[in-house]
Amino acid sequence: MNTKTLQFKNFDDITLWNNLKDGNEKSFSMLFEKYYGDLVNYGNSLSPYAEKVQDCVQDVFTDIWVYRNGLQSSVVVKAYLLSSVRKRIARLHERDHIFRKATSTDSIAFLLEFSVEHELIDDDYATKEKVVHLNKLLNDLPARQKEALYLRYHQGLTVEQIADMLDVNYQSASNLLHRGLLTLRKEWKGSISLIILLSSTAC
Amino acid sequence: MQKRNKYTEIEDFLSDESFQSWILFKIDEDGWEEWTLENRQRAKLVEDSRLLLLAMKVPDSTLSASDIHNALQNTWVKIEEKENHNDSVEDSKVKFFKKYLIRGVAAALVFGLVSIWFYENHFGPESKVVTYKELIDENSEGLVEQTNNSDKPQIITLSDGSSVLLQPNSKLSYPKIFTGNERKVYLSGEGFFEISKNPKKPFFVYANEIVTKVVGTSFRVKAYSDQPDVEVLVRTGKVKVRSNDLVAKSDEEVVLLPNQALRFVRSELSFNKITNITQDQTLTRNVGNIEQLSFEFTDIPVSQIFETIEQAYLVDIDYPKNKLKDCHLTTSLSDQPLTEKLKIVCNSIGNNTSFEMNGNQIIITSEGCN
Repeated sequence: MNTKTLQFKNFDDITLWNNLKDGNEKSFSMLFEKYYGDLVNYGNSLSPYAEKVQDCVQDVFTDIWVYRNGLQSSVVVKAYLLSSVRKRIARLHERDHIFRKATSTDSIAFLLEFSVEHELIDDDYATKEKVVHLNKLLNDLPARQKEALYLRYHQGLTVEQIADMLDVNYQSASNLLHRGLLTLRKEWKGSISLIILLSSTAC
Repeated sequence: MQKRNKYTEIEDFLSDESFQSWILFKIDEDGWEEWTLENRQRAKLVEDSRLLLLAMKVPDSTLSASDIHNALQNTWVKIEEKENHNDSVEDSKVKFFKKYLIRGVAAALVFGLVSIWFYENHFGPESKVVTYKELIDENSEGLVEQTNNSDKPQIITLSDGSSVLLQPNSKLSYPKIFTGNERKVYLSGEGFFEISKNPKKPFFVYANEIVTKVVGTSFRVKAYSDQPDVEVLVRTGKVKVRSNDLVAKSDEEVVLLPNQALRFVRSELSFNKITNITQDQTLTRNVGNIEQLSFEFTDIPVSQIFETIEQAYLVDIDYPKNKLKDCHLTTSLSDQPLTEKLKIVCNSIGNNTSFEMNGNQIIITSEGCN
């Protein structure tokens, strides 16, 4: 039995996106399947209500399909999706906190805790210590710096795209990233030399 | 990979995908290890970046493929609701203009009816044979087409759990996922359908000039494009058959009950209902394996049930023979599509019994019966 399905597997996001704009359900489904998990993950880092997050992500896709005729044809699909999810969740918060007079996109806090890459650390004790320490420093960073780092290094967005998403100009976005790493490095320099000192005396 | 020679900051490494995959997944496609060792200063920078990456892990997605599949289905439901809602908003806007439009619409309607009458009377007969290709072209959604070029019937499982046993030299087109309020498939040739029950989403089989509508049942449709008639034979449940709007706008609908059949004469566009199928030579001659087998089991060894399913659907079932050798079941699977049958059997065995389907290969995993 031969199955004749159009092979979209090798198409890139923008091809899928433009097919979707033309009403191709298959392309829609493929983009959905490709990004749903990632978007839910990101959404969960912005809201503690896991159920609502899935709802938001599905609503984002619903709107994409329903209003597909009005979509821009040149977008970075991933950045567009992440940004739409963020806006949705911000709106959700707005509704929930309506009596507390909040909020805009910049008031949602990035809740995600970075964790330590367990399986991969087959290194010596000192290295493990360092990683755990760094992890703590990372998690102590202000939420927006953390989110910027996440978007840059986990989602691979450019500084420009991050600026767009967080509703700030290019310089501020790049500052967020830079400051995050700078704080880290400063604290870390001190502690690392300490660790090295400790481990060398232990020998 | 020349650009990395210019890296001077941790940031440069962190955003490098190739570097990430080396650290996180130990996939060193670009010889990072060697490159690092070339230069002492470089090694320090690489080490710092590495530690940072290791400390920045993000929990992996916990969604399974079926979670995502369900979410997608759910999204299609939302889309439908939204589209219906938008339509009704449009409607209320339209109401305002309606009175101005009514005269125009009436005029258009008269014109339309006259043209249809003219068309039906003058051009009708030549276009009254509908081919599979025309049916498919009518439908713009992305359809998947499966063709059976082999000499044995082959099983197709649809997204709603329904199964179709497709005969040789036949093909079936169907959407990968059923959306909207209807489930529509297109058949050329012969197939035995077992439809999963869903009264909210009736199932339609388009075949040549006729449309068969069901909500959940099993029946056979035989519609080869080069044969003079189309046959529908019902085994369980109830189906309704009418002609396709493409050939005739008629309200005539034939209702078929179990063991009743219908022969549609294509040249005359007429329906002949056959209430006693045992007396019809052509129908009885063509009874397939699946229609003869009984799926009523009373205290029957599981192995025998699997054997019956294997014969009916021409599939291979692989199951732990030793663990299940003393298991007996009493169950009725007659009115169920293949996946339902398997689900019921697995649930009745219990003990985390599950199945996996891959084309015509079915693998059962089980720890034995309760």
